[in-house]
Amino acid sequence: MNEKRLTRRDFLKNGAAAASLLAAGTKARAGTSAKTAGLAARRTPKQKILVLGFDGMDPHLTDIWMREGKLPTFRKLASEGGYRRLATSIPPQSPVAWSNFIAGTNPGGHGIYDFIHRDPKSYFPIFSATETTEAEKTVRIGNLVIPIKGGQVRNLRRGRAFWQVLEDGDIPATIFKMPANYPPVRTKQRTLSGLGTPDIYGNYNTFHFYTTESQAVNEDIGGGEIHQVYVIGNRVDAKIPGPVNTFRKDRPTTEIDLKVYLDPASPVAKVVLPGQEIILKEKEWSDWVRLRFPLIPTQSVSGICRFYLKEVRPQFKLFLSSINIDPADAALPIATPPSYAEELARRFGPFYTKGLPAETQALDNGVFDEEEFLEQDDQVLAETRAIIDYELDRFDTGFLFAYVSSTDQRQHMFWRLLDPRHPAYDEAIAAKFGNVIERTYAEADSILASAMAKAGKETLVMVMSDHGFNPYARSFNLNTWLLEAGYHAFKNPFKREELELAFASTDWSKTKAYGLGLNGLYINERGREAEGIVAAGADKDNLVHEICRKLEEYRDPKTGEQVVLRAYAAKDVYTGVAAESAPDIVLGFNRGHRISFQSPLGRIPREIMEDNTAKWSGDHMGAAELLSGILFANEPVKAEAPALYDVTATILDRFSLPKTPEMIGRTVL
Amino acid sequence: MATEKIKLPKDLMDKVRRYAAMSGYSSAEEFIAHCLEKEIGQIEESSSEDEIKKKLKGLGYIG
Repeated sequence: MNEKRLTRRDFLKNGAAAASLLAAGTKARAGTSAKTAGLAARRTPKQKILVLGFDGMDPHLTDIWMREGKLPTFRKLASEGGYRRLATSIPPQSPVAWSNFIAGTNPGGHGIYDFIHRDPKSYFPIFSATETTEAEKTVRIGNLVIPIKGGQVRNLRRGRAFWQVLEDGDIPATIFKMPANYPPVRTKQRTLSGLGTPDIYGNYNTFHFYTTESQAVNEDIGGGEIHQVYVIGNRVDAKIPGPVNTFRKDRPTTEIDLKVYLDPASPVAKVVLPGQEIILKEKEWSDWVRLRFPLIPTQSVSGICRFYLKEVRPQFKLFLSSINIDPADAALPIATPPSYAEELARRFGPFYTKGLPAETQALDNGVFDEEEFLEQDDQVLAETRAIIDYELDRFDTGFLFAYVSSTDQRQHMFWRLLDPRHPAYDEAIAAKFGNVIERTYAEADSILASAMAKAGKETLVMVMSDHGFNPYARSFNLNTWLLEAGYHAFKNPFKREELELAFASTDWSKTKAYGLGLNGLYINERGREAEGIVAAGADKDNLVHEICRKLEEYRDPKTGEQVVLRAYAAKDVYTGVAAESAPDIVLGFNRGHRISFQSPLGRIPREIMEDNTAKWSGDHMGAAELLSGILFANEPVKAEAPALYDVTATILDRFSLPKTPEMIGRTVL
Repeated sequence: MATEKIKLPKDLMDKVRRYAAMSGYSSAEEFIAHCLEKEIGQIEESSSEDEIKKKLKGLGYIG
């Protein structure tokens, strides 16, 4: 059979929006190097700029460990060059903060306010960063749906990315895993998308866990699927679900047969997939495995994954990582030119392409223990280091950005072990893993040392983070607070069971405000919301100020602490072409507090405040004043209080290029 | 607008006619169409909510 691999154009045409498996543009075939495809004709400026981005690197911790001599390279850079706290975005969420850097403006200019926005006509949560549309025109032939014209995935960030401006000025750039750049904006520069890049299902994370342990089976866990399996005659039969097959009329989920043969005597198993076999010992990870999900006889889609044999007996436990987009044969747009991802895959083999590759949800749901989580994230970090080294080795001109996610992900998961008062603190685990964050910062120091050595003295080096970190010990249910404060109303206040659905019980004719997203609060505005009741203008402005004041006055009944340190009225903090789409109020939480896990999608639990007992125990949804990031440079930083968008202005200024009209920053050097 | 015929049990149809008239619908057809649209809307909303929840849960920020 002459099976054709699915190109992005094919996939786009098919509008696989159900799984968000969409792609844009024509696939550039392997064999065209990124250099020849996009960069050969560029001028070679003498100025070189390297920016290292360590997600979530916190200045308080950095200061402590610099003082203690544990971050010698950062300390040297601070003393010989410059070091400042870097003002973050409002709110300090990564897609918002990195968009400030990318577009050189505030959210009012680029339009990304949260991971989650809302549709005012349905009060329904929607993705802030991308929009997918299904194929507009299809024809049906028997059971097949053949796309004629179609769907796309669109990056919703407004404004030009700074590397597009560099391109205008013929400055070559390589942008490795920039967050909030999925799908990557159109450019001839070498770019690989970062945070926001989905797995093969279109999700941010979906691991699979095959287990005989029935009490472990809870299908409704975040970021993964648990599969109950049985060992019969030392053999396990299961399926690996693939993406939805939108080529078929009934849109079934594709799947691949998975058979596992257990050694009768030893803790060893053989994993059998179509056309390949993998032998694993207990507690062993496989190398990357390529899976090909058949769609129709001439089309398939490729993904990459790794297996981890957690246990053979007495219970069988096999972990399958999120299935990443295959960089060698990407069914989604993850790179510009497309050959850049293929080039890296040829050099390094398969590598993590998913936006945030750490299996945080496996740890949070007890599928992994701390050691297993770190082993997996060490793989991520090793791959990242290898690719950064490769890019540094060939960095001879222009601009290079490289991103590290582990600093952020490990702080989310291990902050609980820094403070014995945290509800999720565990003394025994802390004794073993209490220094994980410190070790991760030391790893960042080592990456910086290597980069400094390779970059050379003539290169301007800047090191930045998008935000800092805070403990997350207490959860705030915003919609429950609004309900009790009289700003939100139910049709039937006694039917609490309906509150699990977003606003299922809300009486919009009596509701003045609602919370959606991780920091957002919206007024139910007449003419904007489907059933709005608050008039725009003075009525709304007064209500915004009243709610802001009451939020800041609210105290945690358990601790007496202020929960919302700053409630920002959008009008006071956002300017630009996209300011109209902002939440009306953005909550800036006090240290130790965050929005609950239930509130962002509109759920309304009984209590306003709850303990956070999850392993996800550090966060950065607080007031921007509490969560500055870091900025180091190998030159003095003259600006006293630089912000993310000032780094953008600095880069363009050094290359003598003008800012776009939307960019608001000023050079920091 | 194109229309199609469907079959319903007689007992149910009797109830539909009775309650359609009581509720102020102009016809049994209008009542049935309204009920179906409402039900389909709920299913669509619930499945798209599941979809977005599933996608976002992987991030770790929501539960």
